[in-house]
Amino acid sequence: MEKENYISIRTFCQLHGVRESFVHSMCEFEIVRVDQKKGEAMLPTEELPLLEKMVRLHNELDINEAGVQAVFHLLQQVEDLQNEVAMLKRKLDRLDF
Amino acid sequence: MEFIDYYKVLGVDKKASTDDIKKAYRKLARKYHPDLNPNDKEAELNFKKVNEANEVLSDPDKRKKYDQYGKDWQHAEEFEKAKRSRSQGRQQDFSGYTYSQSGGSAQDFSDFFESMFGGSGGFSSRRQKVRYRGEDYHAQLQLSLTDVLMTQKQTITVNGKNIRLTIPAGIEDGQTIKINGHGGPGLEGGPAGDLYITFSIVNNTAFKRDGADLFKTVEIPLTKAVLGGEIFVETLSGKVKLKVAPGTNNGTKVKLKGKGFPRYKKDGQFGDLILTYSVNIPKNLTQEQKSLFEALEKTNLT
Repeated sequence: MEKENYISIRTFCQLHGVRESFVHSMCEFEIVRVDQKKGEAMLPTEELPLLEKMVRLHNELDINEAGVQAVFHLLQQVEDLQNEVAMLKRKLDRLDF
Repeated sequence: MEFIDYYKVLGVDKKASTDDIKKAYRKLARKYHPDLNPNDKEAELNFKKVNEANEVLSDPDKRKKYDQYGKDWQHAEEFEKAKRSRSQGRQQDFSGYTYSQSGGSAQDFSDFFESMFGGSGGFSSRRQKVRYRGEDYHAQLQLSLTDVLMTQKQTITVNGKNIRLTIPAGIEDGQTIKINGHGGPGLEGGPAGDLYITFSIVNNTAFKRDGADLFKTVEIPLTKAVLGGEIFVETLSGKVKLKVAPGTNNGTKVKLKGKGFPRYKKDGQFGDLILTYSVNIPKNLTQEQKSLFEALEKTNLT
């Protein structure tokens, strides 16, 4: 059961055409979590959507590891701001002018 | 269906080299990439346009066909037939304009592209190409505010599959919920993608909503504002009787605890209903009413 919830970094990198060092950088930058399972670095499958997104930014837009980290933090800010705008819109909506 | 000027989409000249096209494409792809523009439908649409333009202009065969027929693209097939009949006996095959399917969705192409090049290629699948984990699906569900007063189960059909869905009471307009494992199938034993459902909640009530709190403006007669009294107010759970205090000012707010909307994922908890009193100033007075107001005025009422 446990095995189903993990994918080895090696397999992930082979499937996505990305270097293993890229995944380790993402782990170092605390973007994704990597667990050690039986001496092998494994990715929990719940980390896959985010890591795949980072791989797309890297592969499709030629953004290097440091750039991906910066983008990750900016995207978090965008998301926070979008939530704040949605909340303010709701508040505005209930005011009569 | 309209002609699409792919050169204009990429902002390049008709004589642009393959390198210029590649550069322009990369520049625009960076600008509109959906991963960099979360929840931005316009950017997503632009990204598709840019991808489509690149698909045509970066491929010498497609570019040639596109340049050759230009705005007469609607007659392209007729031209092809005529050409084929002229070149009978020569081993020329014009049926090579279809692409190999690589998981892309036909919906990612414009009708213009489909009619000119036929088939559905996989260019946009580069973004969601399934290599291990399945593709994520996105769906929209529209409900009215009164539909989400109570948690309800609903069966929806996404990509031909029926999914039983529990919609928690108090869900917000624009809120997205993730249903694990109901996206596309994975490859090589990979997990399935997820299904994201974004709710569009239409307010079909007289209340304004902010989270679990509801708001409403209630008109009260001037006499009741001055002298106090009782009024009846509609809430989501029926009519309630309220006491208006003597000397109630215009704009006074009254909070009815627990008479608001259910709190999301907090069973049995409700927000508040906040009423704002709007004192109605009478305009069409009878002679008698006018005299009474004049008498009041003489008492130096402030």
